[in-house]
Amino acid sequence: MTQTLEVHQGVSQLDRAPATAAPRAATTEISRAGIFAITFGISFMLLYTVFERLNWPFFTYHPAVGKLDFWMQRPRSGEGPPMYWYGWLVLSGMSAVAVSTIATLLPRPWLYRATAFCCVLAALWPALLAAGGFLADQVSFDAEFLKSVWLAGGVAFVGAAAITYLASAQWVQRVWVSWLWIVPVGGLAVLGYSLKSYFLR
Amino acid sequence: MDAITDVFFDYVPVRTFWRVLLFAHFGVAAALLAATTLQSVAVLMPVRQAAGNFVSRVRAAPAASYVKPITILYVLNFLFGCWVYVKYRTYVRIPMEQLGYWWTVGSFEFKEHVMTMGIAMLPAYWYFWRQPLTEQYAAIRKWLVVFLAFSVWYAFLVGHVANDFRGVGA
Repeated sequence: MTQTLEVHQGVSQLDRAPATAAPRAATTEISRAGIFAITFGISFMLLYTVFERLNWPFFTYHPAVGKLDFWMQRPRSGEGPPMYWYGWLVLSGMSAVAVSTIATLLPRPWLYRATAFCCVLAALWPALLAAGGFLADQVSFDAEFLKSVWLAGGVAFVGAAAITYLASAQWVQRVWVSWLWIVPVGGLAVLGYSLKSYFLR
Repeated sequence: MDAITDVFFDYVPVRTFWRVLLFAHFGVAAALLAATTLQSVAVLMPVRQAAGNFVSRVRAAPAASYVKPITILYVLNFLFGCWVYVKYRTYVRIPMEQLGYWWTVGSFEFKEHVMTMGIAMLPAYWYFWRQPLTEQYAAIRKWLVVFLAFSVWYAFLVGHVANDFRGVGA
């Protein structure tokens, strides 16, 4: 018996998993801390992109004069350049904490579907707005209404609701963790595109 | 933030203070660069046994052992970056714009966004790398490691270019 155990231990050591793996379990249920951490990541990145694009900082910092203003303040004469980045960070952080806390209280199927809805909405809205702007510039008649943020938002909302409703429970569950890489890639694409004026001068 | 900085100015000349802070930012960034790169190698090219040359031994290092230092260094360097960013905005970026270094300005703007995404991912990164590691989340673990390494490399290179424009030794 002792010999058998020793042999088994020897085989286990030789046959250990790759160095990256360490001890592995087959599957685990995501804990509440995990729900919070994952939802925090997804919502922070999504909201940061939205707040940056809308220019909604929680506060504006004027470094030249060391002054702090609530919400967004345009540059004022004699006060140097304003900084919004800290304000976007704080607003995104606070909102993400609130969203993540709510997420820990939701039933899992609702959470998966709500996350899918928000992410699809976040993708559809700017895509439809860009498409509307492109179409409005191409057609010969007056189609300025296609450039409306709210029209694009309304259509995106309906589209996201339809997609989320039609998606299977298995799919929204499977894709839930994947939003952790889809959202930053999409967010950085949007934010990178918004900086094109620096690179095309 | 000014109040914190003013405390240091009582003891250290202003110019020296910012140089020391920028150098600390660089030093922590270099350590973070090493840790994220080593973890990426261990995750993307794992080997079962540590044997052979230096690269093989790096590949065999347990990737989970880098998680704690990376998390601490990432947060620390993010805070250093937030602090030194004030000086960048007034002392570096304005002359950059005046001289028309638009690519450098744009790349640095993008760095803000990349690092923000990175810091947002840290809680999930920490969660997925807790023991016991599950096979189920191996792909997302790999992605988080790669993204953090990308963010650190990008920030390091762009920060270095900005420093060369107007920083320590420039």
